[in-house]
Amino acid sequence: MIFTPKAGLKKSRMDWALFLSVIVLLAVGTLVIFSSVAVLPQQAKIVRTQLIAIPLALIVFGAAWSLNYQIYQDQWKYVYGILLVILAGVLLFGVVDKGARSWYRLPFFSVQPSEFARVGLILVLANFLDKRIGKIRELQTVLGAFALCLPVFFLLIKQPDFSAILITFPVVILMLFASGASVSHLAIILGYAFISALFPVLWSVINLNPDLLDNALAGYFFHLSDSWLNAGSFVAATAAGAWWLWRMSVRLYANVSGVYFAGTALVLILGFFSGMVVKNQMKDYQHKRIEVFLSPEADSRGAGYNLLQARIAIGSGGILGRGIFSGTQSRLGFVPERHTDFILAVVGEEMGFWGMLLVTGLYVLMMRRIMQGARLARDRFGYLVNCGIFAMFLVYFCINFGMLLGFAPVAGVPLPLLSYGGSNLVATLAALGIAESVYARRYALV
Amino acid sequence: MRDRQIPQERFDLIWALACCAAILFLLRLVNLQVIGAARYREMAEKNRTQVISQAAPRGRIFSSDEVAIATSKPSFSLIYFPGGDKTKSSMDSMAKALAGPLGADFETLRKTIYTAASKEKPVRLAENLPPKVMLSLSELKAIHPGIDIIVEARRFYPFGAYLSHLIGYIGKMDQSDWTARSKDKNYSMDSRLGKMGLEKMYEKELKGKDGGIYLEVDSRGRLNRVLESRKWVPGADIFLTIDSKAQAAAEEGLSKSISGRGAVVAIDPRNGAIIAFASAPDYDPNMFVLSGSEKESSSIGKALPGFNLALQGAYPPGSIFKIVTAAALLESGRVRPDEKFNCPGYYDAGNRVFKCWDKRGHGQMNFVEGLANSCDVYFYNAGQRAGALAIEKYANAFRLGQASGIAMLDENKGNVFGPGTRAAKKSYWFIGDTLNLAIGQGETLITPIQAAGLISAVANRGVFHRPYYVDHIIRSDGQLFYKASPEVLGTVELKDSTWSLMQEGLHSVVEEGTGKAAQIEGAEIYGKTGTAQNPQGKDHAWFVAYATVGGAPSRIAVAVLVEHGEHGASAAVPIAKAVIEAALREDLKAVNNVPGPAVPPQAPSVPAMGVL
Repeated sequence: MIFTPKAGLKKSRMDWALFLSVIVLLAVGTLVIFSSVAVLPQQAKIVRTQLIAIPLALIVFGAAWSLNYQIYQDQWKYVYGILLVILAGVLLFGVVDKGARSWYRLPFFSVQPSEFARVGLILVLANFLDKRIGKIRELQTVLGAFALCLPVFFLLIKQPDFSAILITFPVVILMLFASGASVSHLAIILGYAFISALFPVLWSVINLNPDLLDNALAGYFFHLSDSWLNAGSFVAATAAGAWWLWRMSVRLYANVSGVYFAGTALVLILGFFSGMVVKNQMKDYQHKRIEVFLSPEADSRGAGYNLLQARIAIGSGGILGRGIFSGTQSRLGFVPERHTDFILAVVGEEMGFWGMLLVTGLYVLMMRRIMQGARLARDRFGYLVNCGIFAMFLVYFCINFGMLLGFAPVAGVPLPLLSYGGSNLVATLAALGIAESVYARRYALV
Repeated sequence: MRDRQIPQERFDLIWALACCAAILFLLRLVNLQVIGAARYREMAEKNRTQVISQAAPRGRIFSSDEVAIATSKPSFSLIYFPGGDKTKSSMDSMAKALAGPLGADFETLRKTIYTAASKEKPVRLAENLPPKVMLSLSELKAIHPGIDIIVEARRFYPFGAYLSHLIGYIGKMDQSDWTARSKDKNYSMDSRLGKMGLEKMYEKELKGKDGGIYLEVDSRGRLNRVLESRKWVPGADIFLTIDSKAQAAAEEGLSKSISGRGAVVAIDPRNGAIIAFASAPDYDPNMFVLSGSEKESSSIGKALPGFNLALQGAYPPGSIFKIVTAAALLESGRVRPDEKFNCPGYYDAGNRVFKCWDKRGHGQMNFVEGLANSCDVYFYNAGQRAGALAIEKYANAFRLGQASGIAMLDENKGNVFGPGTRAAKKSYWFIGDTLNLAIGQGETLITPIQAAGLISAVANRGVFHRPYYVDHIIRSDGQLFYKASPEVLGTVELKDSTWSLMQEGLHSVVEEGTGKAAQIEGAEIYGKTGTAQNPQGKDHAWFVAYATVGGAPSRIAVAVLVEHGEHGASAAVPIAKAVIEAALREDLKAVNNVPGPAVPPQAPSVPAMGVL
């Protein structure tokens, strides 16, 4: 899209389409949250938190909007420092909820720092990519970007908060991709991530089908993570295999650089160790989720049951829905996590297909406006920041819808603006405020 | 932003990805919410509702004089709704509290509650609660939420064992019942159904339509509210052809008899309607309704099929078979009715001597005298003259060896033997066989209901009706659902003179012969006693009879069997007399109160029904 000064001059400082879609989504979300918690014992607390969080989030939105976004680039070291400090601090001073030490308990409410860390990381990363844009096609840049993320991921794993990593990792990849990183470099990163994810999944598969253990190879894989000796044997075997293949290729006069063999072996080994760390850090219920995704019928009363109930709720809504405050599936408690991760199931049940269409449409409109903001941004940093925010919403959107509709495992990821959660709401509106700030300070306007 | 260092088409690619994802999700939503809406709505409804079915009252069963033989009465059940935040210890304490008043075992009660809690299905903890227990239970209801008392209709037989062999009984579903009816929405695993007799044969009519309480429950099975209480539709009422007084007389007679084992079947010869149907020993069908007796009832249920002596007991007919022999010898034309045979008290068959039942001998006997005194020697002689083949032919003509056709299960067909069956078995026929056949010994076996059919055919001159016991069925909305109509199964074609002679002979049995004890003031009784030799023990006593009042066609024919009753005359005759008296009580009253013969002028003096 070609920018024309005329179009820019006439436009206001506020992207009203973005703002309106956000407000409508927020209104729908609040209504559905109230409906879904109406019969819960903790109703009063949830309603109160939501009613406090909305004005707070709007204030943060306004502040982020009025503040020049370029300050984040200037002060990126502070942003990064605060980000690491709050994540480290929660490990020391945080309280444990649902098995994860990820909350600050404040006098009136609790704060989840990982929500804010996500937004901060987008800002830091945008700055990094902006600075290195000339060398974006070098592997060092890609690795550097991940080196920036590594301490954050490490602190998140320590909590552990896998869903935050699940959201952030694709955002980083998408930002690198959008800023022009080499696809083959991204493929290496993805391969590494794939292997670190593959090992826990493989182990879950073997757990599900114990007779696979009779297979020597599967049995070997299964016991790899048991001791450092086994792990070491795997590393040695991989390295030796890579070396042997390289020697073979030399003998056969195949013109293949040794870097590829070394790289492949390195990715395999690193992926294996990450997978081992992930597997050992995973909680039981997280293992369970992978198993349920692999074979939903194995556990009809657990996570698979929950997913089925959520699907029944959506399906039973039909075209017109059953009416706000009248969904039986959600109100009688068949839908799990109905006011957080499965809020869409309540929308589907009570507002029907039209409600889902409205939510999807508003989400797509919102993302489109953020994209437009990036296109109009006065500098590359603004472009990259909006890119990151766009990617963040896209990842949330895909994972939450995909999980509900059976395309992805149950991940415990909320849907921003709809799901209940004060920290998430404030962080989301902060991100939107920054996007608006990029829009407001677009090229033509002073 | 225009920046050559950033490839902006990559953002477009990501945007396209987002659009694809959104479209994919919307297509899936169309699939779920538009196409699958009805299916998922149904699943959601099933999720939130639980049904406690309330058994509809079964149709009542009345005798022909409208005495209720089987009714329903309200009964109270204790229901446990699982769910809530029940802990194991609270369930334990509930089981402990309930075990006392219910008189149930604590362990089994606890197990029931646990399984109900794990399946999240309501369960009946106890049924048929007595009023005393109800009071203490309603106190416990307040302490232990989750239990409740509901009212249901339960089968009740006011007279206990009365007519039990015809009525049958109801019981819980077993595996075979369940596989046959699992698709029927009107039955659930704990509903009860007819297991025997009329209750089983007319299950469909008697069942009615179960009602139910539809409850809304939350995901943990806690009761939220009552959605709907659907009223049941009671089953259809069945009116029997049984005469309650005659039935009572039959049962009383059997229970007072020597052995207490036997059967009485009384049929209306005009149409085959069963007036009395008794078999002893009998059982109280109420005990199958009581809860907690499932084990007990299943063992009794297995022992029962051989129980219904009227239908399933096959006995040698003894002298009542002489009716068949009489028909054979008169029809054969080889014996003149006035021809006399001398009875010295025995019959010499060459290699063996056959005795008459009266060792002193009867002297010279003609047909009527022979029948009246049941003289064996007369029938040895005359039967040999007529021939075994003729006797076998008429035994078959009188439908011996064939099921009576009554609508009941497991009927015994009895057995007919003669030269024909022997030939079929490639065996020999001896002269002694002819003699045994003629007096109803040997291999011939008949059931009491076949004996009743036989005497009924004599009364109406040869017509066999299908015996039936359901007169009409009235549905709960008052509409007539079914009305029985007589069905002719077959006719025995005999000469008019043969019928008259046979009836004369049977009349003289009662007037001056072996059945004198059956005489009733105001009625003409025609009968035949029988004493069937029984190698296992004392002889079985038979009596078959029919009665006419004032020349009208006979309205009752009765067959009585008393196992080990020794003599028909002493054991069986009084029972038959009592049954006939009870059945004809109105007619007898009319005849005996009015001086002079109360013959309706237009009625024919000779019963002519059945002979064309």
